[in-house]
Formats: sequence, C-alpha cells, structure tokens
Amino acid sequence: MVLGIERVLFAVLLLVLSPFILPSNAQQPAAPIKVDQITGLAGVKNKTKGSITIENGNLRFAHGKTKVDLAATSMQDVVTGNDSQRLIHGTLGMLTMIAPYGSGRFLSLFRAKLDTLTIKYRDADGGLHGAIFTMGVGKAEALKKELVAHGAHTSIPTQKDADKTSTKAPDAKEQKP
Amino acid sequence: MTRILGRGIVFSLLSIILFAGPGLRAQDKQPAKIKASSISVTMIQSDEIKLPAEFQVSLYENLIQQLQKKGGFQHVYREGDRNAANAADLVVLHSTVRGFKEGSERVRQLTTVVGATSINVHCEFTDKNGKSLLERDLKGKVIFFGANLRATYDFAKKAAQVAHDNFSPTAGT
Repeated sequence: MVLGIERVLFAVLLLVLSPFILPSNAQQPAAPIKVDQITGLAGVKNKTKGSITIENGNLRFAHGKTKVDLAATSMQDVVTGNDSQRLIHGTLGMLTMIAPYGSGRFLSLFRAKLDTLTIKYRDADGGLHGAIFTMGVGKAEALKKELVAHGAHTSIPTQKDADKTSTKAPDAKEQKP
Repeated sequence: MTRILGRGIVFSLLSIILFAGPGLRAQDKQPAKIKASSISVTMIQSDEIKLPAEFQVSLYENLIQQLQKKGGFQHVYREGDRNAANAADLVVLHSTVRGFKEGSERVRQLTTVVGATSINVHCEFTDKNGKSLLERDLKGKVIFFGANLRATYDFAKKAAQVAHDNFSPTAGT
C-alpha cells in the first residue's frame, strides 16, 4: 500500500516537473551562427556579414532580407581551418618541411583568431563554386559535422573520425587475403 | 667647338631614344591575339606544396571574378559546367601554385616596408583538346596593407590581364 502511494506521488511529481525539462538538442533548431561570407556564395557580395543556420538539410545564409540556401548534398568538400592546419602541420607537413620555396609552412589566409569554413559545391549546371566563411573560434567544426550528417562530403575527416579510422586500419589490412 | 659637337650628338641620341623608344616598345607589346570567346577555369592545383582549402578557393573565385570583369571573354565557365562543352573557341585555364613567401600582416601594418606575402602561380591556357596555347608564371603579392587574401586578388588581376592581352573573341577574323 505504502509502495503504491509512493509510486503515485512519483508519477505526480514527474507530471508537475515535465514542463521544466529541456527539450533535447536534436529537436531544437540550431541557433544562427554569425559569420562573414568572404567570397563564393552565389548571389551574395564578397565580405558580407550574416548568419548561418542549417535547416532541412540546407545551409541557409541570411543577410537582412537576402536568404541563400545551399543543399548539403551539393557540397563536395567541407573543410575547416583546423583541418587544413592538421593536414599541413601533421605527418605530411613534416615531410614537406624540407621542400623548397617555403612549401612546408602553412600559409594562412586570415589572422589566427578566426575559424574558417570552406565549402566546395556544384551548381545546377555542374559548375564548381567555392565559398569561404569566417566565424568565431570553435564554431566551424560543429557546422561541418552537421553538414556532413546531412549528406555533405569532406576530404578531411574530423579529428575523432580520423583517429577511429587510423585505429581500425590494421584490422582492415588483416582482412585482405 | 668639339665639345659643342659632342653635346649635340649626345642630345640627338637621347632624343631618338626618348621619342622612338615608346613607339618601338608599343610594337613589341602587341603580339597576335589568339581567338577565344569563352574560357573555362579549373580549380587551382598545388603539386609541390600543401595549399589550405581557403587559399585554393579564394584564388579560384577571385580568378573567375576578375576574368568576368576584365578578361574580355563572352563567357567564363566554372570547372565542370556542362554548358562549356558546346562553347566555340573555348580555352581552358589551368593554374598550379608553385610556391609562396609568407609575410606578416602585423609587420606590414607596423612598418609598411617589410612583411610582404607573395604567391607564385603557373598558369597554362590550353585549347579544348589540351594543346598548350600560352604559359605564364604569375606572382600575387600583398606588400603594404591588408590580409594575405589580397595576394590572391592581386594574382587574379594579373591573370585576367594576361588573358585580356593574349585572347580576343574577334582575333583572326
């Protein structure tokens, strides 16, 4: 009997507190990220400030009343500034350090305090475009992950994915006859 | 008397150089233009160096914008554009980054003398079948003010100028 009352009280408590439980991140639309569109987004002037959201598998750049949508599936490469640095400062970078003309060093387009997101995408005619966005540090990686989850391609997997594939590599080799 | 004669000769020679020189140079500057009404731009490549994606894309986009503004072509196609297949007198521009000298925006701002960034790009214009028509090594620089982004703009301007000077939709007609 006492156990039954406890259960009822617990159920009532859950019912009362349920409005205060925050909805999960998956259900919540992502907050707009303030960015500078440096170049390459069709229909938008170079160096335009705006915000990016990801809605229904599209990247939406909004600047005032202007809204440009890019389907994640049309993106053939999404790369962050950190990806580029890892690629060049990593093992490959060490090998190219001895190459002439300063070829082993990293040539950055912007000051280090900015995060960059570079997207190569195809238009309806198959023409290749490249768009560059700059944003606050640490925001590009999350955007990239979300775009990849919606079908965008990337030539450089994220750090965690890269680690996973490198650990799995020996197994893959063993499977070969 | 001899001194006057000598000065006269020197003056005459200088006059000839001053007045005839620009005319001769103008003749040198006008090579026969190659007929081309449209151009297809391929993505910038980098064989010897690892080029960050943002740099590659900035070079490509600036190049397309400058060719549209100053190249003198009726159409500028992007890599992969299906419409380029039907274009008459099409040239294809292949650009390869060969090296760079990294400067510093901060040093440039402080001194305005040192800290220049430069990027060396090899440009090859070919016809549809891949036959080479023209090759040039171009350098994009940012010397005084601005981020490294300006080096990509400087290169694009120079490449568009080369295209304008060597190709024309009306050449050979």
